[in-house]
Amino acid sequence: MLRITGGSVYDPANSINGEVRDLYIADGKFVDKESCDSGRVIDATGMIIFPGGVDVHTHVAGGSINFARAMTPEDHRRTQAFIRTKTRRSGLGGMAPTTFATGYLYAGMGYTTVNEAAVPVLSARHTHEELSDIPIVDKSSLVLMANNEIFLDLLEEGETERAKQVIAWYLWAAKAYGIKAVNPGGVAAWKYGDNASQLTEPVSGYKNVTPGNIVAQLAQIIDELGIPHPIHLHCNNLGAPGNVSTTLETMKHLEGRRAHFAHLQYHAYGGDDWGTMRSASVELAEYFNAHPNMTTDAGAVLFGDTVTITADGPWQHLLYKLTGRKWGNLDVENETGCGIVPYTYKPSNLVNAVQWATGLELLLLIDDPWRVFMSTDHPNGACFWRYPEILQLLMSADFRKECMACLPANIKNRITLPEIDREYTLYELATIISAGPARALGLKQKGNLGVGADADVVIYNRNVNIAEMFGHPRYVIKSGEIVIEEGDIRETPDGREYIIKPSFDPGTDDFLQPLFEDRYCMSFENYPVEMERIENPHLQDCKPQQ
Amino acid sequence: MITLRLIQQPAVPLEAECLTPDRLVELTNDQIRAAVLYHGKRQVRVDEFFQVDGELSDAIELHGDLSRVRHLGRQMSRGTVTIRGDAGMHLGAQMSGGKIEVFGNAGDWLGGEMRGGRVHIHGRAGQQVGAAYRGSLVGMRGGSIFVDGAVGIETGMRMKRGLIVAGGRASDFVGLQMKGGTILLRQGAEIRTGAWMQRGTIISLVDLQLMPTFAYSGTYNPTFANVLAGRLAKLGTELPFDVSEGGYDRYCGDRAVPGKGEVLIWKPT
Amino acid sequence: MQKSRFLPRGRKDRTMVLVDIRETKSVKAADIFLQVRPGKDFELLTILRAMIKDQPISDAEVAETGVSIEALQDLVARMKAAKFGAMFFGMGLSMTRGKHMNSAALLTLAAEMNAFTKFVAMPMRGHGNVTGADVIMRWQTGYPFGISFNRGYPRYNPGEFSTVDVLVRGDTDCVFVIGADPGATMPQPAIDHLARVPTIVLDPHVTHTSRLAKVHITTAPAGISAPGTAYRMDEIPLPLRPALKSSYPTDEEVTRRIKEAIQAKPDWMVEGPQRLETQV
Ligand SMILES: [Zn+2]
Repeated sequence: MLRITGGSVYDPANSINGEVRDLYIADGKFVDKESCDSGRVIDATGMIIFPGGVDVHTHVAGGSINFARAMTPEDHRRTQAFIRTKTRRSGLGGMAPTTFATGYLYAGMGYTTVNEAAVPVLSARHTHEELSDIPIVDKSSLVLMANNEIFLDLLEEGETERAKQVIAWYLWAAKAYGIKAVNPGGVAAWKYGDNASQLTEPVSGYKNVTPGNIVAQLAQIIDELGIPHPIHLHCNNLGAPGNVSTTLETMKHLEGRRAHFAHLQYHAYGGDDWGTMRSASVELAEYFNAHPNMTTDAGAVLFGDTVTITADGPWQHLLYKLTGRKWGNLDVENETGCGIVPYTYKPSNLVNAVQWATGLELLLLIDDPWRVFMSTDHPNGACFWRYPEILQLLMSADFRKECMACLPANIKNRITLPEIDREYTLYELATIISAGPARALGLKQKGNLGVGADADVVIYNRNVNIAEMFGHPRYVIKSGEIVIEEGDIRETPDGREYIIKPSFDPGTDDFLQPLFEDRYCMSFENYPVEMERIENPHLQDCKPQQ
Repeated sequence: MITLRLIQQPAVPLEAECLTPDRLVELTNDQIRAAVLYHGKRQVRVDEFFQVDGELSDAIELHGDLSRVRHLGRQMSRGTVTIRGDAGMHLGAQMSGGKIEVFGNAGDWLGGEMRGGRVHIHGRAGQQVGAAYRGSLVGMRGGSIFVDGAVGIETGMRMKRGLIVAGGRASDFVGLQMKGGTILLRQGAEIRTGAWMQRGTIISLVDLQLMPTFAYSGTYNPTFANVLAGRLAKLGTELPFDVSEGGYDRYCGDRAVPGKGEVLIWKPT
Repeated sequence: MQKSRFLPRGRKDRTMVLVDIRETKSVKAADIFLQVRPGKDFELLTILRAMIKDQPISDAEVAETGVSIEALQDLVARMKAAKFGAMFFGMGLSMTRGKHMNSAALLTLAAEMNAFTKFVAMPMRGHGNVTGADVIMRWQTGYPFGISFNRGYPRYNPGEFSTVDVLVRGDTDCVFVIGADPGATMPQPAIDHLARVPTIVLDPHVTHTSRLAKVHITTAPAGISAPGTAYRMDEIPLPLRPALKSSYPTDEEVTRRIKEAIQAKPDWMVEGPQRLETQV
């Protein structure tokens, strides 16, 4: 049992805004005062208390980040090293941290839940093995669906009911928590060196299937199956100048449905080419603010080195041609693929400067903190362990001005950031890093300091240096256990893995098996991930909507 | 001056990155003796392996067969390291200044990713002299490495600036993916010299087997050979440049990249 | 061969080019066979890199490789015209003179071909679950192989820490072998070192290495009587479902028990900081 007394509590899920409250913890959950009558007491007087951070969109486990690790030994050598002890495994931080270090680094900045946002069914078994090697934090994963050949074929034939059964089957086969759609149709086309850039044009190889109807159908299926997290969408034309029109059109295709737009910064550009590229955050935020069916994460960019990894193969090949550095590409038969390119964002580069500003603008112009979340699309825009730097930018308009002084002079008229003076409050920050993403993921027990919720808490020393404060919490508590204390790792418990089991027609196996055997080079019974392979599985409710 | 004499051969490699002028200049004799080395997985004191004389100096002299002692002079920026005997891997890796002299042979990764300073090996050197570590895009960025004897494969791999002189014959892949700087081969090299080079100059004083993707582009006596000869003369080594003595066949490549590097082969008259 | 939507006639819609130093049995299966002179793989691949970029190459230079310029021009034309090209390579490339650079040449060629059409390349791995070991080492340490843990965190340097080099130089005072038979494949100095130091082998069978070893623990054969996961060479994990029962323990169980026994001993690591900002 554990008591935390005297701290200023920021708990947006329960509308508590900086009031001094005592917290009581027993058996890994918050309890009322009466149920916690012994154990350690943390005197948090003068300190700030947040619910543990929840990352709605990150890439920390699986084939693509693991490929990125292989490609960047030079970064592993220059980064911080975690030394092993008798009970703790060693690891390396950096652009693509090792699994053990991923847990240490997330917990080290007060994050206790992470959502791995891109898992091909075919390599889901691998992803789960990696996830179980990420200590401390709780995990969930999203399975890639929008370029799956069998699913696209069903859409082509108009078999939407069957498609729904198949999606549910796949989700359970992958032991995933939700559905991710990346560049719908585009990744399938990339297997033949093509892309899909027009929402209403058929995907190559199909007559009826367009990116637009892939997203609309998927969103409908997800709602009908009652999957807790809405469609998690990486729109077409990522990173391309002028792509805001595609993004807005996609949003219109999804009107009236729940949808989460991933890393919106990469989809918020105006202009016609690299020379005229500008931020389109104003028009995008305006539409977004008026449509409460949507949530998003920022996909913010910070200047510095990183490695970009995405299922968006065509984009990555373009980036490789632009940088002339390393490039890796993986195709996953019938399902998806991914590309990997190390990249350095430079303030002197006009395009990078626009990207940096766009990410912040979206966070500042979207007025409801319950609908826009902290993310860098780790490791694409920046590494997750740099989030505290973004928090500082959000909380201080002066600091933003200072940073803007380094941008190229011709950035004027391309960005709106200089005109925005909004500064985040601590309450709003607690919403975008914890309460909001937890709600969007449908994890009611997370991002919540109320009785019955998981006792994941961060305690910060007050500090005028915001990045310092959020980067170095005084205590991090996961499921009631102190895991970080004054910068040192104390305990490294195993986290849970959240999965869902949507109901589907038991005949789906018989339907899929022949199709599968025709297309895949793996035997059908080897395909689904066995439940025994998930360490600490935690089944969340998934009930079809009425 | 600080003198370190190896008193017992390590059973497994000994990692001694603390033995640099930058570090030892600040240490008393007692502190040097107590400084930490890694003998395999175990931490040991310097005096377990070395007899230590002297203190507070940036001139270090080491005696004995140090071929299993790694990382000597790592990241040094000043002073001298003199080794009377063989040196192990990573000697002078990432150094930025000062001078290393070895009266014996050196191991692999000699001057790996170095930025400045001078290295002189009187014997042979191992593989990847002045090279980039695996995955790095850039090897040596400055300074000079003189090896009187032979050098191993991938000498000057991805180097960007600086000078490597091999007195003996070089193995395969000299100047692999080179981006700049100069490599002088007094006794030529085995195969694949200059493979995939982007820029930079490789000079050979004897005939060389070239990659098929290099193209002959004339014979001449470049003025920079004159300048380089002057610089080398000060360092005690010669480079022919006079028209009366001969000329350089110039080959450009590697066209596979396509690159703008050059390989100059001395043709005496 | 698999038929597919884009290649409805299966094998007929595909073109297979075989490159080898001699005529092997695979030649029959191939549409085109190019016989390269031994030791000229790197040169041939580098010439191809230049040719796809329309860089001039003289016939005499090409002839050195044993393949004619016409054959290469035809190959380049076919590669560029292909809808989806795949290159497979094995130890003939990675274990002959030039080693990793031969593989690098092929991978670079595949990457550069993507300026024209879709191309991929994939290594055909050796015995055992090499790919699986690679994959797991990468997520746990960041590196695929050639890793040293002596400083308490992973460090990587092939040539310094790779098994064959460590053994040849005699850099270890103990060897633990699992899922491999280095005694059969490694150079003599490495084999001598295996015999010199305490070598411990986990293997279902008697092997060259187990004969040199001080300790051989017989384990259940993976995939036959021990469950687990194998990674296919495209890094797709497949479950191993044992068909038989074995009275021997699995590699995993033996390793875990050895680890527990070591953990019970006093630690040699000196208390220090939890993390290092700069590595050696
Ligand atoms: Zn992402």
